Amino acid sequence: MDVAGLLVRFGTVQAVRGVDLRVHAGASVALLGRNGAGKSTTMRVVAGVVPPTEGRVLVGGEDARTRALAVKRVTGYCPDVGGLVPRATPWEHLQLSARLRRMPPGWEARATELLERFELTGVTHRVTAGFSHGMGRRMSVLLAAFHRPRVLLLDEPFDGVDPLGVEATLEVVADARARGAAVLVSTHLRELAVEACGRAVVLRDGAAVGDVDAHDLGGEAGAGAYRALLG
Amino acid sequence: MPGPTAPSSADPGQPAGPAARRLVAEVLRATTDLGPLIGLRVATLRGRSRSAAWLGLVALVLLTSAAVLGPTLLPDRPAVRDDLLPVLPVLYLASLGITVVVSMTSSGSRELLPREQAVAFPVSATTDHLGALLLAPLNLTWLLQAWAVLAATSYAVGARSTLAAALLPVLAWLVAATALAQVLAWGVEWLRRGAHGLLLLGTGTLLLTAAAAVTLLTTDPVAPLLDSGPARWVAEGVVAGAEGRWGPWSLVLSGLLVLTAVGLVLGGWTAGRVARRPARDERGADSAERPARPLPASDLAALLRTDRAGIYRSVPMRRGVAVLALLPAAVALLAGFGWHMLGIFPGLVASGAALLFGVNAWCLDGRGTVWRESLPVAPRTALAARGLVLAELILAASAVTLLVASTRAGIPTLSQLVAVLCAAVVVTVQVVTTSLRWSLRRPYAVDLRNPRATAAPPLVMVGYSSWLAVSTTTTGLLFNLVSGAPWWWSPLLAVFFLSWSGLRLGRVAAAWDDAGTRARVVGSVAV
Repeated sequence: MDVAGLLVRFGTVQAVRGVDLRVHAGASVALLGRNGAGKSTTMRVVAGVVPPTEGRVLVGGEDARTRALAVKRVTGYCPDVGGLVPRATPWEHLQLSARLRRMPPGWEARATELLERFELTGVTHRVTAGFSHGMGRRMSVLLAAFHRPRVLLLDEPFDGVDPLGVEATLEVVADARARGAAVLVSTHLRELAVEACGRAVVLRDGAAVGDVDAHDLGGEAGAGAYRALLG
Repeated sequence: MPGPTAPSSADPGQPAGPAARRLVAEVLRATTDLGPLIGLRVATLRGRSRSAAWLGLVALVLLTSAAVLGPTLLPDRPAVRDDLLPVLPVLYLASLGITVVVSMTSSGSRELLPREQAVAFPVSATTDHLGALLLAPLNLTWLLQAWAVLAATSYAVGARSTLAAALLPVLAWLVAATALAQVLAWGVEWLRRGAHGLLLLGTGTLLLTAAAAVTLLTTDPVAPLLDSGPARWVAEGVVAGAEGRWGPWSLVLSGLLVLTAVGLVLGGWTAGRVARRPARDERGADSAERPARPLPASDLAALLRTDRAGIYRSVPMRRGVAVLALLPAAVALLAGFGWHMLGIFPGLVASGAALLFGVNAWCLDGRGTVWRESLPVAPRTALAARGLVLAELILAASAVTLLVASTRAGIPTLSQLVAVLCAAVVVTVQVVTTSLRWSLRRPYAVDLRNPRATAAPPLVMVGYSSWLAVSTTTTGLLFNLVSGAPWWWSPLLAVFFLSWSGLRLGRVAAAWDDAGTRARVVGSVAV
């Protein structure tokens, strides 16, 4: 994943102004920053959902501006809000994804394994409208990882998730890295970012203000460094 | 549970004190609270939405003026007027019936502030009730019946200096009927939320329908209705106003004002009771198990399945679809329209379906829209799926309406049959095209799980309703006209309309192909 000089404007609002980001295969990078820093917009651009206003965005070798559909094929994206169709069941979400991503026969075993890992087996055929926030987050992470994408994009995957869900998400990130996928995790939970990722890019007011080794942001010393970057 | 987030002083458990004083204080507080809530609603309308809302209001005023003044410009036919006068009470009663159905189908009518936004504010049940009453007229069915009643009365009275006075009891009746319908709607909602509520309501509806059917088949339905109290009383007020007999006229107006006041107070009280009961069937739908089905055969089939789930698994949507099919059917059945008039019904059904969700079609997935947009599927396939589910809903509901209506319409000529079928296809394509265009231009974040939610802000819905009512009725009337000509006139007219709609649909598809447009829509509906 190669992002250079990314700029995103919504009318008169400049949501992202000059973000450079590179994530290699097998690496994981955390996007950190306060609310409104531009993390989710950057993730949406990389997922092919929002077109960049300016800049270069290559995902799995595909240009997000001109080949958004190809970008969607190589990515797995867990959006920051909701991310689930209220009247569809988890199994129907998986079916839709399997169908549109042309997954080969046998995808059901992978789906079942992930549902077990995220402890959602009991609600496989229940509509997601009644899900708690944490259940919805877990299901969104599961859907992003389901088709073993080359680029895994997780936007606030730990938000409101219980410790077992956090553990399952960390496993998904580790698995993705192990099979050579590039992983981008957007979160405001610094300690979990340090645990999940090797590098961290800090955004402030839509621009990248730091690109550091994730471990440098761990512990008390890391908290101070992080606060300094946030200004 | 929609609505109130703060107790009402009309509720039990409030500090003791003279009941009348508490009631007055509560009504005053609730009325005062309406101001900021309306202000917030208006403030959230920006850009194109604000223009649409203004257009809606202008259309509302113009169409209401047309309904009142238009009939006075028609040629004066005393025989027709004499025939119409005795039927006015029936129209007033029908108006009450329609208002009741409109309120009941939206689980106690619309919300001034959506429940997910209202949780942060102390909104009492009385405020919620008053807000629902204010929004009640912003509904196509309500508006159509109001315009029909005003137009019929206006024609019956004729152009004379006392026309305004003669219409005043009708306006007061519409207000009183809305207030009373609201009480009934809260009552039904309270019952529905109780133990075995659905069973009780289902049985009650069946018994009422059976009783109505027996009455229709065994007696002249008009005679007993004519003798019924309040509607006949309103008609007497109209005649008194027209003739300048101010004594009886004032008496009728005062009576209607008292009825309205009773409705307001009772409604606030009942709304408080409803607020304390959880909605069982909606909770049941949220936790329902759905057995797995085989993998869909194509991308389009997969998207259609997901879109259909959004409609038919939602309790409020199911209720809306049922009303959409059965209410026009009931009107057609009671009025006994012939085939030469049935062409307008598909347009009414199509407009209703569009207002259910079609005018803001991308809100069907709620926040799931972002995930769906991240899936690798051609944008036009997603657009086609959304258009097709709307089209099939309209056609299915139109089919039910026409089937029921045809039982009293007699045997059609070939021209009449072809005209009605062409009208159904044309208005379906027209409404789908218009809905998809509006959905792209003005997307809104709406939680359709809430049975009291509307697909767009209420003021914008007025604009949409008016436009749809005028355009589809005009189309329907054109097909009614050609139903008297040779049969091949209707397909020719249909080809003209469909070509025009096809061009517009092409423009909508081209706009949807643009990633920036889709990002704006997704960002708006998935907040």
